[in-house]
Formats: sequence, C-alpha cells, structure tokens
Amino acid sequence: MTGLILQQAVNALTIGAIYALIALGYTMVYGVLRLINFAHGEMFMLGAYAALVIVIFAFPSGAGLFGALIIFLAAFVAVGLVGVAIERAAYKPLRKTSRLSPMLSSLGISLAIQAAVQLVAGPQPIGFASLFPVKAIEIAGANITTVQIGIIICALLLMFALNRFVASTRLGINVRAVSENMRTAQLMGIDIDRAVSLIFFIGPGLGAVAGILYASYYGVMTPSMGVIVGLKAFTAAILGGIGSIPGAMIGGFILGILEVFGTAMLPILTDGYLGTEYRDIFAFAALILVLLFKPSGLLGERISEETMVYKRDF
Amino acid sequence: MNGGTAKPVTLGTKLIGFALIVAAIVLACSVPYMPNYYVRVLDSILIYILLGLGLNIVIGYAGLLDLGFVAFYAIGAYTYALLASPQMGIHLPFLVILPIACVLGVLAGILLGIPVLRLRGDYLAIVTLGFGEIIRVLINNADALTNGPKGIAAIHRIDIFGLTISTPKDVFWLLLVTCILVAIIVWRLQNSILGKAWMAIREDQDAAKGIGINTTNAKLAAFGISAMIGSIAGVIFSAFQRFVSPESFTFQESVLIVLIIVIGGIGNILGVIAGATMLILLPELLRDYAEFRMLLLGLLMAFLIIVRPHGLVPRSFTPDRLFAWMRFR
Amino acid sequence: MSLEFKNVSKRFGSVIATDDVSLTFEPGLIYGIIGPNGAGKSTLINMAAGSYSISSGSILLDGRPIEKLKKHEISLAGIARTYQNIRLFEQMSVMDNLEVCLYPRDVGGVWKEIFVPSYARAKREERQAHCRRLLEQFALEDAADWDANSLSYGRQRMLEIARALVREPRVLLLDEPAAGLNHGETLELKQRLAALRRPELIMIVVEHDMDLVMTLCDRVVVLHHGALLAMGTPAEVQANEQVQQAYLGTIDDIESIRAVAQSRKAERGLRVNADTVRH
Repeated sequence: MTGLILQQAVNALTIGAIYALIALGYTMVYGVLRLINFAHGEMFMLGAYAALVIVIFAFPSGAGLFGALIIFLAAFVAVGLVGVAIERAAYKPLRKTSRLSPMLSSLGISLAIQAAVQLVAGPQPIGFASLFPVKAIEIAGANITTVQIGIIICALLLMFALNRFVASTRLGINVRAVSENMRTAQLMGIDIDRAVSLIFFIGPGLGAVAGILYASYYGVMTPSMGVIVGLKAFTAAILGGIGSIPGAMIGGFILGILEVFGTAMLPILTDGYLGTEYRDIFAFAALILVLLFKPSGLLGERISEETMVYKRDF
Repeated sequence: MNGGTAKPVTLGTKLIGFALIVAAIVLACSVPYMPNYYVRVLDSILIYILLGLGLNIVIGYAGLLDLGFVAFYAIGAYTYALLASPQMGIHLPFLVILPIACVLGVLAGILLGIPVLRLRGDYLAIVTLGFGEIIRVLINNADALTNGPKGIAAIHRIDIFGLTISTPKDVFWLLLVTCILVAIIVWRLQNSILGKAWMAIREDQDAAKGIGINTTNAKLAAFGISAMIGSIAGVIFSAFQRFVSPESFTFQESVLIVLIIVIGGIGNILGVIAGATMLILLPELLRDYAEFRMLLLGLLMAFLIIVRPHGLVPRSFTPDRLFAWMRFR
Repeated sequence: MSLEFKNVSKRFGSVIATDDVSLTFEPGLIYGIIGPNGAGKSTLINMAAGSYSISSGSILLDGRPIEKLKKHEISLAGIARTYQNIRLFEQMSVMDNLEVCLYPRDVGGVWKEIFVPSYARAKREERQAHCRRLLEQFALEDAADWDANSLSYGRQRMLEIARALVREPRVLLLDEPAAGLNHGETLELKQRLAALRRPELIMIVVEHDMDLVMTLCDRVVVLHHGALLAMGTPAEVQANEQVQQAYLGTIDDIESIRAVAQSRKAERGLRVNADTVRH
C-alpha cells in the first residue's frame, strides 16, 4: 500500500513540477500586466519542438549530461526571445487600451503559433527520446524512474534560481516593483519596458524547459499539447494565487496532487462508474470552484470591493 | 449601438445599403441554380451567422466575454441527436424537439450565468471557457448516453408538416428563414430598453446599478437568450449533418465564433454577417492554402484587435442607417 | 421624510474612514460636506448610495433602513448620485444615457416592449419626451444624439447630474461636482444646483471648493478624521474655532510657522518685515 501511495506521490510531484514551471510564466505576466496570456501554453509546446530541432541537428546520436544542459539552455533562450518578440508586437500596442484586448490578441497568437508549428512539423505526434537516462528504481514497492527524479530536481533548481533572482538581484527587484505598482515603479525611474521584456523572456523560457521535461516524460509531442496543459497550469497559478510567484510553485504541486490522487480515487469512489478518463475535469472543476469562491487563491492579493473601479472590459 | 455623432445618413451609406439588398436578393434567387458545393458553403455561413448573432448578445451588447459558447451549440445538437435517432430509440418530430432544445438552452445559459455574475473580465472569460470544456469532456465520456467520441449517427432529417429537409438547398432556405427571424428578434432587442440596459452594463456596470438597473436579471437574460440561439443553431446543424461528435464542439470552435464577432464588428448585426462570411469564404477562396487558414485567422485576430478593435464594419453601419431610405420602423 | 445616518462607522482594515457619525438631512435644503483630505466625505456618500458596505450603524431613508439593500434597490428607493470622476455611459448617446434610467421596474413590461412594437414605440416616446425636458433644463438638447464622450468636460458633468435626476429622486448625492470645472462653469453649476431646490428633495454636495459650498449650501457639515466636527449654517461653521483649527492647525502651530519663516528671512540678510524685492 505504501508503495502505491509513494508511487502516486512521485507521479504527482513530477507532473506538479511541470505545471509549476509553466504556471510561473502565467503568474508573472498576470502580476504585471493583468493579462491572461493564452499564448503561454504555446511556449511550452515550442520548447519541446525547439529541443527536438536542436537534437536533430546537433546531437543526432544522443546527448550526454553536457549536451542536455546545452539543449535546455538553447531552448530557454530561443523560446524566451520568441516570448519577447510576441510581447513587443502583439501586447505592447494594447497596453493602454481596454482590459481584455491583450487577452483576445493572445488568443489569436496562440492559434497562429499552433498552426505554424503544425504547418512545419505536421499535426501527428512526434516521438522524443528522454534527455534523462531512463532507469527504473524500486523503493518500498514503488516503481519510480530516474526521469521523474530528474524532472523534479530540475524544476526545483529552476524555481530556487528564480526566487533568488527576484529577491536579490537588481533586475529581479525591479520586476517585483513593476508587478506591485507599475506607475510608481515608473516614477522611480524603473524602465517598465525592460522589466516587461525580462518577464516575457523568463516566463516563456521556463515554460520551454517544462515542455522539454514533459516530452522526456511522456515521450511524445504534438502541436496542440500546449492547450490543455496550458489551461491546467493556469489553474495552478490561480490556485496558488495569481500574481504570486511562490503561489504558482505551490499551486503547481497542489494541482499535480489533486489530479493524480483524484483520478486514482475516482474509480474507487464511484464503484468503477467514473474512470480515469475524467482526469482533465479535475483541473477545470478546480479552476471554476476557485474562481467562484476564492479568486485570490492561496497566496494571492486580496482585492477588496472598494479598490476595483471597473468600467469597460473591451 | 448608436452610430457615433449625429451625422446625416450620407449618400454613400444609402448606396451601400441598396447594393447589399440587391446582392442578397440576387444571391437568394440564384440558389436553386447553384451547384451543391456552393450551397453548402452558404449553409456554413448561415450557421455561423446564427451562432454569431447569439454570442453577440453576450459579448457585443452586454460586454461579457464568453469563451465557452460552443457548450450551448453542443446542447442543442445533442438534444436533437438524442431525441431523433436510433441512439435512444426516441423519434420525436423537429417541431417538438425545437422548443425543448430552446428551453434547455435557456436553462444552460442561466446556469452558466448565475455563478459568473460576480466575475469580471478575464475571470469571467476563463470560467466560461472551463464550462465549455467541461461540457465537451462530459459528452466525450458519457458513453452510455452520448456514445462518447464515436458520436451519434443516423440522425433523422427535419420534417416540417410533410416537407422533408434533405438537400443542402432545403437546408439553405430553412437556415435563411431562421437567420432572418433571429436577426429581427436580435435587432429588436438591441433597440429595446433591455438592449440599452445591456449596453449600460457593458459601459460601466457599477454606474448601471447606480441608476437602478437590476444587473443580475439583465445579465441572466443575456446569457439565457444567447444560449437559446446557440441551441437552435445546434439543432439545425445536427439535423443537417445527421451525425454529431464531441469533435465539433472544441474550445477552438468557441474561439472561432468570438473571432467572427471581433472581425466583423462587436455589437453590430451587419458585422456578424460580414464576419461569418469572411470566416467561411476566406479558406474557400484560398482552398489551395487550406493549412494556412488557422495561421491566417490567428494573425488576423491579433492584427485586428490592435489596429481596428471595433471590427471591420464601421460602427455607423447599422441597419437603420443603411436602409434608412426604406421605411424602417 | 429624511435621510438619517445613525452611528455610522466604516473601517477599511485598521483604518477608520468614518467614525460614529450621526446626521440627519432634511428635504428642501442643500447640504455641503467639507473637510480636509481623508476626512471621509466621499465614504459617507458611497455608503448612502450602497457602493460601500457599513461596518456598524444604520442609514435610514424615511425611517427605513437601507444599508443592507443592493445598489440598484437603493437607487430605486430614490437615492441618486454622481461620481467624482465622471462615469457616464461613454459610447451611448446623450439621450440614451438618460433614457436607460427609465428601465421598467417590472419584467413583464420589458418583454412586452420586445414583442409588441407599437407598445415599444409609445413607451419610447414617453421616455424620450421626459428626458428631452431634462436635456433642455441643462442646455443639452442640441447634443441629444451625440456620443456622451464627445461632450466637453463641463457638459459631461451637467449630463451626469441630469442623469441622476431622471427618475425624480428623493435624495441627490453629488460627489465633487465642481472638480475640473473652470470659474465660469463653476458659476453655472452653482446656478443650476440652486435652481434644483425643491421642498421634497434632499441635496447633499461633497466639495473642496469652499466658495461654492459657503455661497450655495444652506447647511454645512464638517468632517475630520472620519468624525463629525460641526454642522450648521455657513456662517456658524466659518466662525467655529474647531473647524478653523482642523483646516489650519492650532494657534500655536501658526505661531511657530511664523517664527521659522522669520528666522529664515534673517539668515538671508533680509529685513524681518520686508516685502519681496522686485527687480
């Protein structure tokens, strides 16, 4: 029994780690621009495809540890630059307009990127060899793979690095200032555009790494993989409190636990009537319930009735 | 929606209105002689016009971004599929199913509306998105009822008092009549005091409450009516295709309908017609480049939001101005 | 017939915005609410209009408590308001901004209008006739078909006041109506507001413009740190020492300010009582 629980726990942490990395991108962008970036899921997808391209051209016979690091780094940078470009072209012109137009724009960009990748690489799933050595380990009756451990460690390292960056470096503090209060930060001389570009570099970069991890875990990638996973990661960001970086991290793991254990319990609780194919519903149900009853999430800002002056949405 | 400052209706506007009427009549008259392929395209356009008219009430008039509209489309389609096919062994006539689908649509709209009443902007959009996805997943997994991903086939044709709607041309006339009726109702709604209340809510919800509008009821009415129209479209779609599956009701489909409204003109009936026409015709004209369709549409959406957020059709192109030379009540 | 605040308090977290205020407003009079920044003037109006909830106490309209009602119910009960930053329905026409206020109370009426065109036409003409009279009163009838946001700032203010009057309210709350108006527009505002005096109407104006308040209002309410400092005629309030202290500081404070200013002048070698030198 403990073996089963331990196994599910590792499964949960693995997928939770991936959700957390993607959620960070959503939360950083929302915290600064109040924008739900629908195209962020596509950054996740692009990461996997970018890694694929790099592997094909640079490491046709497999990559060792050093090669893997290069792949991660290159994909991070490449997708990060794509993120910056998208922000400049499609979101920046809308910054002063209504609340929802950037979101609608991001919807269009999301469609466009999926279509572009589909044009180039085709809609069919493409196999991806894991960047981690694949070995099964048995601990206390649980079957765990080194891939899972690799993913969890990788994600934790990145989250730790991000935390240090935001807390201690000049650029990181600027980013935090901009997300607290953009106008004040501007008045204090902080370059808003640069801070926003930085956010749109780091967020998509992290998402790209998550994409590579996901492709290593499941062994496959498709142009539309970003849609559902993106939405789930967004749920994770909301769960933890949208706008809060530690919130995104916690939210990711919580969603992973919810999904894995919930899906496992479902057949047991409903006598086999509802099966594991309802896995996706957990995220949507969690999303709706949180938004309806506690929209600020666990660690998010409490927006009181009085501070919101809403006029037109779009 | 009022057309900007009080400019007199120019000659140019009147000419465009005249040209549109002539084009519509010519088109309608030539349908009996058109090859089936073109008629199918027209049928597609009309279905999307219908969907656009429905969603326009929530997005265009009330200003609530609903990203899960496809759910109501699905409810209408599956209602007809379940009540007029071998799936459950029930074979009700179209004229009985239609009111049932309408009622179910309204109920679904209100059910979605109630929890999102307190939500604004982006949160509202996301919850409606989630709602749409939940409906799709439910349909996909409730095998016993809906046959899951395999879908429901052998759906009965529509039969109205002995007239069977079987060819694309028959469907064209049915859709045309439906579109005209719905357009008239929507036009009346737009100009009614309820329509003005919706626009006040869209402009500034708090100020609307401040002048005594019961925003709860008004928003629920918007959701209910738009859902009903979506449901009607679903019924006709289901009977026309004679096959439904969850694949037709994805998030991407919801986005497409939003795209129609955004391209054509938010809150403008003629905009919806223009948007639907563009959305369907473009890939047809570029048939050789069919794979580029989504790419172009995505880029077009982002581009239009930035450059022309009110859509292609100018706000002043409302039926009462275009057709002012006719006696318009 | 009155609007009564009974021991009303409002707390935002640990900040006390309104501190146990008890006031009664009678009809037929124009009340001005003044006070230094942060005194809680707008908070009072927002509570009466239902935009803010009350932390404790009660607000009574004709003896009936309204603090638990929803915003639109308070409006239907006869309390109308304008906003500090103008909140018109910008992309709707001037006429529509007024007409929409006459949204029928009963749902049946709404549906009847949708399905019976002749009924709709008759009702619409009735509403628009009523609104046109209001537009004439505020010199806006030429702009009836314009978008509300194409009006000049001053006319937008007038439109907002007109909108508040459409349903002939019992209480009219005006939140800094003179903000952003130039001298001439402020005079016009004063004239119009004075012309609105009616035996059954309670008018409450929150303002910073002391001149406007003292010459227009029949009674002045002074708030300070959320609490009621004074209430009376303009003359009484102006003579009130506590009010003077609140605005200017205590007598001792003024003395010490003068002392510092004089010593600064001495430092620069200027004669203590000299005027500024013009070159």
